[in-house]
Amino acid sequence: MSHRKLNQDEIDHLIKNGCTASDWQSVNVKQGFNPINIKNVIFSGEVILGNYTGNFELFPGLKCEFGIYNCTIHNCSISDNVYIKDVKLLMNYNIEDNAIIYNTEQISVTSESTFGNGVEIEVLNEGGGRELKIFDKLSSQIAYMLVNYHHAPHFIKNLNNMIDRYIESIKSKIGLIGKYVKIKNCKQIQNVNIGPFADLYSVLNIENGTIASNEKAPITVGEGVIAKNFIIQSGSIVDSSAILNNCFIGQSVQIGKQFSAENSAFFANCEGFHSEACSVFAGPYSVTHHKSTLLIAGMYSFFNAGSGTNQSNHMYKLGPVHQGIMERGAKTGSFSYLLWPSRIGAFSVVVGKHYSNFDTSLLPFSYIVESGGKSVISPAMNLFTVGTRRDSKKWKNRDKRQDPQKLDLIHFDLFSPYSIGKVLKGMDILKSLYEKADKKQDFVLYNGINIKRLMLKTCRNYYNLALKIYLGDKIVNQLQNMSDNISFDNLKQQMLSISFNFEDWIDLGGMLVPKSESEKLVSAIEMGGFDTLTDITNHLQNLFNKYDNLSFAWTLGLIEQVFEIKITEFSSQHLLQIISEWQTNSLKLNNMILNDANKEFDSKSQIGFGIDGDSEIKLKDFEEVRGTFAENSFIKEIQSESEQINKTAKDLLKKLNSSK
Amino acid sequence: MVTDEIQTKVKQVISNVLKISADELSNDANFIFDLGADSMQSLELVAAFEEEFDIEMDQEKALEIQSVADAVVFIENCLN
Repeated sequence: MSHRKLNQDEIDHLIKNGCTASDWQSVNVKQGFNPINIKNVIFSGEVILGNYTGNFELFPGLKCEFGIYNCTIHNCSISDNVYIKDVKLLMNYNIEDNAIIYNTEQISVTSESTFGNGVEIEVLNEGGGRELKIFDKLSSQIAYMLVNYHHAPHFIKNLNNMIDRYIESIKSKIGLIGKYVKIKNCKQIQNVNIGPFADLYSVLNIENGTIASNEKAPITVGEGVIAKNFIIQSGSIVDSSAILNNCFIGQSVQIGKQFSAENSAFFANCEGFHSEACSVFAGPYSVTHHKSTLLIAGMYSFFNAGSGTNQSNHMYKLGPVHQGIMERGAKTGSFSYLLWPSRIGAFSVVVGKHYSNFDTSLLPFSYIVESGGKSVISPAMNLFTVGTRRDSKKWKNRDKRQDPQKLDLIHFDLFSPYSIGKVLKGMDILKSLYEKADKKQDFVLYNGINIKRLMLKTCRNYYNLALKIYLGDKIVNQLQNMSDNISFDNLKQQMLSISFNFEDWIDLGGMLVPKSESEKLVSAIEMGGFDTLTDITNHLQNLFNKYDNLSFAWTLGLIEQVFEIKITEFSSQHLLQIISEWQTNSLKLNNMILNDANKEFDSKSQIGFGIDGDSEIKLKDFEEVRGTFAENSFIKEIQSESEQINKTAKDLLKKLNSSK
Repeated sequence: MVTDEIQTKVKQVISNVLKISADELSNDANFIFDLGADSMQSLELVAAFEEEFDIEMDQEKALEIQSVADAVVFIENCLN
């Protein structure tokens, strides 16, 4: 874009409009410049001005002319059709087309800045040692590895070097206010890059950060927000007096209602309201909504914090050095307490206060309760609660990310090689505990937590049910993908064409991958096999896309384990057994879930309804407010799913028989 | 095993799991509404019945057992 110096007529016009300049020769303008809509402006340093014609609605019904009014501008390049009015100081910024900045005290870049990129935040371990260098393209996968893989220092060093190189490219003495940004009634904005289409209103004080907004997924930063050293990724909302210090806010996260956080990272679709977070790694879909809840020094994902949830990481010994992990899908009941270090298995529910340290990572889908001051786990019991099923369905539907570039890679499957691999190990653990336990024992101890001896066998049976459903799901899905060519021979041929390892899978910040793939990536980064963050991101994306193939390959290993055969020995009888057991166990699980859901409609659930009436009014009131079991949409969905299972099993068996 | 014997054992099992005196257990006592059992305790009862009578109970059907009398009938059928 070519610019020119102001001519004398234009300078005279500007002076007549109440403008002054430290040096009019330092004010450059675009071709076609018209000074008419520039009034009462103090220019300082190097300034470039665009063309300001036409009008827009500042508030509904209030039309304003584009232009610059009542401001002090220092070292700024201001593009076309902006509206900048009543800004006490606007310093060292490039302001793109159609930006609106109104009634704001100060927006400035005070020195060379990385705009929050490169800030190291002490997640997971409040005592440090797991510093996470945040930047505007950070994904939950890269963050997970940076935080957790300190056993590989060269990997950490090389990855951080790549991040440093990226950050170096961002460093500037000039900030950005992107096109169509709106900044209204804010107080202080210092060293903050603001991406296109961001909406900032009544912000109190934000400093050293990036608001990585874009047209598809704009960001809102609202009233009373105080934030220092931060990154906010696209599609997120931070408002209502939130306080952030050293924080990373991922894509489509919502933070507000006086939530405060420090040294914490929140990845896609997290929500934080009212409560407090300190040194938290909040993986995708971590949610805390209630007052008196403190999440501290923990790693969470697909997590829901009950009110008053609390953990402690200190114990007043060597400082706040303890840390905890709640694997995906874990949740806490009201006023639950956990003493770190502990590790809670996936899709488990924690109720009560727990003063011992335990590791239940190989016992997923569990209830962990406090009974008489003792921590007691009931493995597998959370498999057939209506809440687990509802959660697993809702997450995918509640992905709010509108940005075409989804930075966090997320798998949603409830049953996966990750969870079922743990189920398989859990079954072995329960079997071993059962065989060793004395019948006189009420409890057995496992990894610091108690299990009721009586439940060992029952819980193992429930795990087996999940395993059979997973196995059937994968095989049925594979058959259905053959469309018109469904036959045992075709399936067997596919099975034999796949090379597979039966190995552990991990949850890499929301993405489910074979452990060996993560190890290979770490090793490659250690050896200098990747030059840029983009290369790593592309590699992760490829891995993410291969989930269906990799999980099917893992399933072949599972078949070998379950049937104690080599895959070459897989027969049509095995196939029929898998489908039959899939049908039986899927229906059984659905019926148990329905049974659990039915409790939401029983007489206990009706307590308090029909407040001044008799039993008839109570029922009527309940049904009007809560509906009936038969009409509940979730119930109908499960019932319909059961019908579909029966139909699928019947169709497949028919096709398999006819293809013989 | 005769019905009376099953009933006595059933009551003993319930007494052990729910920590209620066997003498206080009537035949039509409902586990949840009369005896205050929660869903976990209902499952423990099933596991305890299995161990006491050395039987395998279908979990889904077993959870339909609501009372002492239901349990006695169910177990009697299993044993037969």
